[in-house]
Amino acid sequence: MLVLFLHIGLTSFGGSTMAWMHREIVERRKLLDDQGFMTGLTIAQVLPGANPVNLALYLGMHARGRIGAAVAVFGIIFPAFCVVLFMGYLYRTFSDFETTHVVLGGVAAAGVGATLAMGVKLARSVMVKIIPTTIAIFTFVVIGILRWPLVPVVSVLVPLSILQAYLIHKRQSKNG
Amino acid sequence: MDSRLLSLIIVFAPLSLFSFGGGQAVVADFQYQSVEVHGWLTNEQFTDLYAVSRAGPGPGTLIVALIGWEVYGFIGALIACLAIYIPSCAIVYGATSWWHKNENSPWRVAIEKGLGPIAVGLVFAGIAAVLRAAGIIEPGNIDYLGLATFLFTGYLLYVTTITPYYLIGGVAIFYGSLQFF
Repeated sequence: MLVLFLHIGLTSFGGSTMAWMHREIVERRKLLDDQGFMTGLTIAQVLPGANPVNLALYLGMHARGRIGAAVAVFGIIFPAFCVVLFMGYLYRTFSDFETTHVVLGGVAAAGVGATLAMGVKLARSVMVKIIPTTIAIFTFVVIGILRWPLVPVVSVLVPLSILQAYLIHKRQSKNG
Repeated sequence: MDSRLLSLIIVFAPLSLFSFGGGQAVVADFQYQSVEVHGWLTNEQFTDLYAVSRAGPGPGTLIVALIGWEVYGFIGALIACLAIYIPSCAIVYGATSWWHKNENSPWRVAIEKGLGPIAVGLVFAGIAAVLRAAGIIEPGNIDYLGLATFLFTGYLLYVTTITPYYLIGGVAIFYGSLQFF
């Protein structure tokens, strides 16, 4: 289990992590079927926390209970943690050079561009109805533009948003 | 415990609970807390560390390890990491049990639908924060090269399925070579 997740943690860069897990756990080792994997994927995505970490926890818990969950999470974070700290060390070594900042400035622009692509894809699936669209835009304006602190704002918005989704869902299932 | 370690926990542990979709949702508050509230980093350092964490493997939230290191070395990196992962993992752990017992609960649907728009709003707030910290869009000043890189990368990744790492590598080489002209 530890070896499996360390392996996944090391070989998967960026968005490919969850695709790797599917290959290793569902297709090759058959620890879980597709349906179970999809449930895990949903939980990993809607709840807070990094998606691959959450998914690893879900899969580890499924296969070996509590210890499996702990081992899977450690395995997925530890290799990346080491690599990122090493890159941080390289950064501090070379941060006196102007070129370093220019190059990293470009990389930051590209990185935030990658986030834009993801954001637009997510927005297209969420912003089809008027209420979710309003909530999304309100969240963006208050935190992104007006720069209110995130924790109190989201603490209020999350229960409200879930409640309205619940009420709409209830009304729809009554009518349908 | 040293007060700086304590403040790492106080800043990152609550954000853990709001890090929908990984690190990108709380990037805005990472920047606000570590640059403006606590003064651990300058805007330039924050942009640099953001770039380092995007170029590396693992979730975007690993930027907290780099911020933690600036505050308190290796211990700082470790504590920041524990603070950002333990609370969210505890929630996922509890939810996994609950989820299985309540397959058809209307609340389950409501949670999925209710969190979506907030996650989207936060992702775009994070984009705004990084654009500001990197000096790409500031009041009265726009860095057109940075803006072009941002829009070009976003467009390319939206319409194609290429790996972001080639693109990020390409951008790094392009910016590096500009230095020699």
